[in-house]
Amino acid sequence: MATHEKVDVVIVGAGASGSTYAAVLAKAGKKVVLLESGPDWQQSDLISSDFWGRRLKPAGSPFLLEGKNPYGYVYQAGWGVGGAALHYFANFPRLMPSDFKVKSEHGRGLDWPIDYKDVAPYYDKVADDVGVSGDAKAEEIWRPPGKPYPMPPMKTFKNGQVWLKGFEAVGIRMRPAAVGMNSTEYKGRKACIYDGWCHVGCPIGALANPLVTYLGDARKAGAEVRARATVTRVLTNAAGDKVTGVEYYDDKKEKQTQEASVVVLAAWAAQNPRLMLNSANDKHPNGLANRSGLLGKYMMAHFASGTFAMFDEDIENHMGTIGGQYFSYDRYDKLTHKDKGAFGSTFIVAGAAQKTSDLGGIPNARPDLFGPALADFMKRAKRGLTRITMFGEELPNIENRIEVASDKDEFGMPLGRFTHTFDEAAVALWNANFDEGLKVAKATDAKESWSGRGNMPTIHMFGGTIMGTGAGNSVVDSYGQTHEIGNLYVAGPGIFPTEGAPNPTYTIFALSLRGAEHLAANWSAVAG
Amino acid sequence: MDAIERRALLKGAGLGALAFTVGGAQVLLTPAQAFADNVPLRTLKPDEAKTLEAMGETLVPGAREAGIVQFVDQQLSIPAEEALLEARILNVRPPYANFYRAAIGAINGASTARAGKPFAELDAATQHAFVDQMRQNKIEGWKGPGGGFVYFILRSDAVDVVYGTMAGYKALDIPYMAHIEPTRSW
Repeated sequence: MATHEKVDVVIVGAGASGSTYAAVLAKAGKKVVLLESGPDWQQSDLISSDFWGRRLKPAGSPFLLEGKNPYGYVYQAGWGVGGAALHYFANFPRLMPSDFKVKSEHGRGLDWPIDYKDVAPYYDKVADDVGVSGDAKAEEIWRPPGKPYPMPPMKTFKNGQVWLKGFEAVGIRMRPAAVGMNSTEYKGRKACIYDGWCHVGCPIGALANPLVTYLGDARKAGAEVRARATVTRVLTNAAGDKVTGVEYYDDKKEKQTQEASVVVLAAWAAQNPRLMLNSANDKHPNGLANRSGLLGKYMMAHFASGTFAMFDEDIENHMGTIGGQYFSYDRYDKLTHKDKGAFGSTFIVAGAAQKTSDLGGIPNARPDLFGPALADFMKRAKRGLTRITMFGEELPNIENRIEVASDKDEFGMPLGRFTHTFDEAAVALWNANFDEGLKVAKATDAKESWSGRGNMPTIHMFGGTIMGTGAGNSVVDSYGQTHEIGNLYVAGPGIFPTEGAPNPTYTIFALSLRGAEHLAANWSAVAG
Repeated sequence: MDAIERRALLKGAGLGALAFTVGGAQVLLTPAQAFADNVPLRTLKPDEAKTLEAMGETLVPGAREAGIVQFVDQQLSIPAEEALLEARILNVRPPYANFYRAAIGAINGASTARAGKPFAELDAATQHAFVDQMRQNKIEGWKGPGGGFVYFILRSDAVDVVYGTMAGYKALDIPYMAHIEPTRSW
């Protein structure tokens, strides 16, 4: 086993959050090493193909997936530099102020230890850093004051425009979606060409993936990326009050140790607690920084109610982006569907480019069809199919959790066990959103419309290392610093105590920027 | 997989083709070309291939000639981390051959129990009815991965080779609009 020269910071995971930390700290003059379990993808690896795009995801889940609604791990996950943000949809909605005070305002769920106003400046900074297109003025009907986006909104196409009549009929106001994509050239990166291949990686840099934003910045500032480096343990000193580095297996599957003054875990919401649980020692017998007993607890996912509509005419459904052209917070009030037993916010997106294969492809708009019926459907849908999606919020439930199992992976690290079940309020919200989606569709000029019901999906991932006011109620503080070990940080959606309803990566960038800048500003106190 | 084959595959990723073995040499072909050239299979046994071909054609017309068997067979022969199969993103645990063998075994076991012969030997109408029951998990005595899940995975494979390729887009008259184009229509 080789031991590498001590560095200032070792970051586990080179996705959205790890890249942000790396950029800030490397620019602050720190010696930064990122350890990434997957390949060192280049922009030129991002082939425009649904099945070639699957290479950007892990081969098999490192978790045993259990519960009534097992988490759909691999589809959501990243593998390699860029992480899941190499294949994300780049919708950039913000959380709303109400998301930070769910417990206070409704007596259920949890509160964040910070408010929207603490995060808002970082939303603005991220927008400037990575480039966001949108219409902040038009969003003022929902959004608290903030800086305008640096780019105007994206183009829209018929497959999004045809929904506006339906939304208006049911009283839902749609606005141009804020997205982490270039409607114009931005910082030397090209403008989007609206070909809809966002979800398999954008090789022209029009979409703000980490390779062309924070990870690129980090590398320019001297950060070192070691790809195919799989971390299995975080190491501590004998007293257990400081972390000293990590153990990992390199690209030749040989064991290595990287010593560091600060460790940042940025390996996504499920892997971080798995790693911390596997790092238990005599001073931390239940896993690192787990005096609260909450490590691995309160795992959350979004769910989506998709509604499809078929038009006779060519609605240019091959054009656009894979995220959405319009969005709405008009059903964001957590009590919107309380009469149906539902609780939680809904975030609405309309108008995504359609592709012919993969989970979100045209054939899965009607997964029951096969044979000649499917062939006929494809001919009708190829230019006439469009969809809207209503994302719903799941409240934190302590039973939704990560544990370590007895089965082990190729490095001898126990697999995780990920147990996840939606509660009745979430199921009720999912159903209510199907009902409303169908009302919208039927108020359009579509020839046919239907709900895309199937197994209740799990989308995005949160929790497991939630933030709070102290070790009695959480694992980390609002900066991601663990309560018990001052030089151990956790970054990413795992620190969210509630999830809201919007796509999370904009908030992940914002919280990571906030945490990283705080760490850099307090370096001596943390790393000393 | 040896180093030469790995390099061929990586090059193939750029070209949009897959590495097949013909006469002991590695060549880059699309699955449809591999079907047309009757390229020898690496992993699937003849009866497994026959079942997969029949199931693929039942699920998505055109899957046979689009090379569903050649696609899946080639994919099962390479390291899981290089695989392009839908099974990968639906949390099937590698090696993926275990899933396909179990699925094919379940299909033929159920077909033989119901009709006295394997799936590939059923007439088209009976195959269609079988699949309709399978997708709804309604086949009694089914032994293996869930019928609905098997349906979804194999249907996705068939969709990939028929509709997901550049040739598939062209056949549907949908502009493919690649940033990085698979040059062999795959």
